Amino acid sequence: MGFERGGRGGGRGGNFRGGDRGGGRGGGRGGARGGAGFGGRGGAGGGRGGGRGAPRGGARGRGAGGRGGRGGAAGGAKGGKKVIVEPHRHKGVFVARGGKEDLLATINTVPGESVYGEKRISVESDKKSEDGVATKTEYRIWNPFRSKLAAGILGGLETIYMKPGSKVLYLGAASGTSVSHVADIVGPTGSVYAVEFSHRSGRDLINMATRRTNVIPIVEDARKPMAYRMLVPMVDVIFADVAQPDQARIVGINAKLFLKQGGGLLISIKASCIDSTAPPEQVFASEVQKLREDKFTPKEQLTLEPYERDHAMVSCVYLQKEYQE
Amino acid sequence: MVAVNYLLFESAVGFAMFEVVHQADSVGLQLPEVKEAMTTLDKFGKMVKLVSFNPWTSAAHGLEAINLISEGIMPDLLKNTLELNLPQTSGKKSKVVLGVVDKRLAGEISATFPGVQCESADTSEVVAALLRGIRVHAGKLLKGLQEGDINRAQLGLGHAYSRAKVKFSVHKNDNHIIQGIATLDALDKGINQGAMRVREWYGWHFPELIRIVSDNGTYAKLVIAIGNKKSLTDESVDDIANLLNQDQDKAEAVIQAAKVSMGQDISEGDLRMVKDLATNVSQMADYRRILAESLDKKMGDVAPNLQVILGTPVAARLISHAGSLTNLAKYPASTLQILGAEKALFRALKTKGATPKYGLLYQSTFIGRAGPKVKGRISRYLANKCSIASRIDNFSENPTRRFGEVMRDQIEQRLEWYAKGTKPMKNSDAMDKAIKAVLDDDEHNLDIDTEMVDHMAPSKEEKKDKKDKKEKKDKKEKEGKKEKKEKKRKDVGADDGDVEMVDVSEEPKKKKKRKSAAAE
Repeated sequence: MGFERGGRGGGRGGNFRGGDRGGGRGGGRGGARGGAGFGGRGGAGGGRGGGRGAPRGGARGRGAGGRGGRGGAAGGAKGGKKVIVEPHRHKGVFVARGGKEDLLATINTVPGESVYGEKRISVESDKKSEDGVATKTEYRIWNPFRSKLAAGILGGLETIYMKPGSKVLYLGAASGTSVSHVADIVGPTGSVYAVEFSHRSGRDLINMATRRTNVIPIVEDARKPMAYRMLVPMVDVIFADVAQPDQARIVGINAKLFLKQGGGLLISIKASCIDSTAPPEQVFASEVQKLREDKFTPKEQLTLEPYERDHAMVSCVYLQKEYQE
Repeated sequence: MVAVNYLLFESAVGFAMFEVVHQADSVGLQLPEVKEAMTTLDKFGKMVKLVSFNPWTSAAHGLEAINLISEGIMPDLLKNTLELNLPQTSGKKSKVVLGVVDKRLAGEISATFPGVQCESADTSEVVAALLRGIRVHAGKLLKGLQEGDINRAQLGLGHAYSRAKVKFSVHKNDNHIIQGIATLDALDKGINQGAMRVREWYGWHFPELIRIVSDNGTYAKLVIAIGNKKSLTDESVDDIANLLNQDQDKAEAVIQAAKVSMGQDISEGDLRMVKDLATNVSQMADYRRILAESLDKKMGDVAPNLQVILGTPVAARLISHAGSLTNLAKYPASTLQILGAEKALFRALKTKGATPKYGLLYQSTFIGRAGPKVKGRISRYLANKCSIASRIDNFSENPTRRFGEVMRDQIEQRLEWYAKGTKPMKNSDAMDKAIKAVLDDDEHNLDIDTEMVDHMAPSKEEKKDKKDKKEKKDKKEKEGKKEKKEKKRKDVGADDGDVEMVDVSEEPKKKKKRKSAAAE
């Protein structure tokens, strides 16, 4: 371990990628993630798959305050190693390879800044700009334990409907951590309409949105789409992570107003939020049935294990059989 | 099936009116051809025609409009637009049909314009479909807009609206209570830990002091005053006694103990560190006292009845757990009863075991005083009273603690009844007593008095009366009614169990009231 650390420090200066990234990557941040993002979901750790769990568990076990973060999500992204960023099957999503594990990433639209303490990788692209200076692209690592959409992508969603230029209605935006990645995916030509009811989280959301002009923050109850009807146009996709007993209804009334015909829906269903006594599969089935009644055509359903327990991600198309671009 | 003549579309840029040129028909809406026509611009563009479009003149206008629209109220700007663009009819012979997406706004428009009949998206599928179509093509249909204008307007308006929402939160006071009680808990922990450290550390120098003074705060103060135990002489007895509530015997004991102490000597530098720590602890203890007092006062303003029943800490914890007093007031008593025992509750629900009897309420003195067999019953009774108290606190305009006092007495009597069999006061008598006390309190306020006296004897005729009165929008009256409601509920649910059922059915009404009061 000690050898590797030394190697990293030395190699960074000469390394072609390491230069502008090293500074902000403190142990404090890594430590914070280990505590908040991870410890908070104590249960998830046990059920996790080996490949993913090992390095993180290691980081926790090591318990080195300053180094805790390195073994975390961006275990492979450290300076001494070469990381290759490749486009993912879904447009706007990328995979960072070369570390112990492959990581999801999105292009950072605000280079040089993290939203919630996530790691960044910057890569010189092959294309040079006109004056011969190599252009740099910065990516942000997307942690599937903190974002259900990332978990869904890693779980193998056939399509996420959103791509650069899409308009997305994001229900249950919380502090805007996942929203920031969605904003990265849709890019400057797309928009994310982020609805969050809680004032406390809404504050963080607004702060995040001031740096990303393609995010429109809406602090309002998603049960009252009428209240924000002036702010939202027809959207291509609704992403719903509201965790309410009546979430199918919430999605239904929002889709009625804002989701275009043939638009997509991604909904994360937390079984215990809807009925804590019924078995999860039964809850998922009944929710999908409710979506059908709201004129959605279910396309696929997958579990978010090992990242979340008793969660399902359901993907649907609105008003017709197939998704329309 | 009425034909829709006009459509109103509220965008982030301004209000737009469309005339429906080509009538769609609700039967054919699901046909693929119609669906396709709705989604292609050149076909849909032939179905509707833009009549008027007024962009906001300033961002402030837009914010004002969205704030009113989100509440379902018609802004003046919209009223002018409608006046100008809708054909004037008296509404006697034929009516103009206007499609509006929100049914609340629709109701207000038809109330203002007698010649206009409003169809909302809920009542007419055609309106819903056409407005969806307009939303799809808004960028192209609204004339005179640049590419990206709508998007920029949405961004600006979204930020302005959301900022205003966060800024003017209705739970202003509740937030301070929540933070206050959380800080208090954190302080308790901190003071305790700090005091333990001071004892251990200073104990090496002067171990006998712990025996004489056991209170943490006093101990810390003494450490600061004494410093090096060798500096203590017989003359310093008065200074020491000052810190010990003039207890001369104890002060003597401290000085005696210092003389024969088996503690080690301490260096100047180490002693300074111990003293600094002691200073910090003692300051924290002082701050804790001030904070507790201010929380007491705050609770007295915000939730006096709840405070009287449960005491400040438990009442504040309940509010903190619910998120706000409004949330707490919306909970049924059964939820309030087990608030704080969610883990046990869900475990019990899953395993079909016995649900917990109490959560945070366990900290109330009433539960501690109840016998083991009646703990659950007292908890339920207490939760019912707390639920009523939180509602009175939340929805009344003039805070009074009279109801809480009476309900506290009732709980006392209930305890006694379980213990000795003494008959408790009847609910109706209790409420009469409370209302009488309130009347005595504000004799100067005649308005309230008459209302209250009216409600002293609830009967079936009164129910009708209540409905007639609904039209009046006098705040005071509202309060009076509320109190009556409380009373009624109590009559209905003479025994605890039924109370929740009544509560739930009354929820929506109450909520509305609060809203309209806020709007005023």
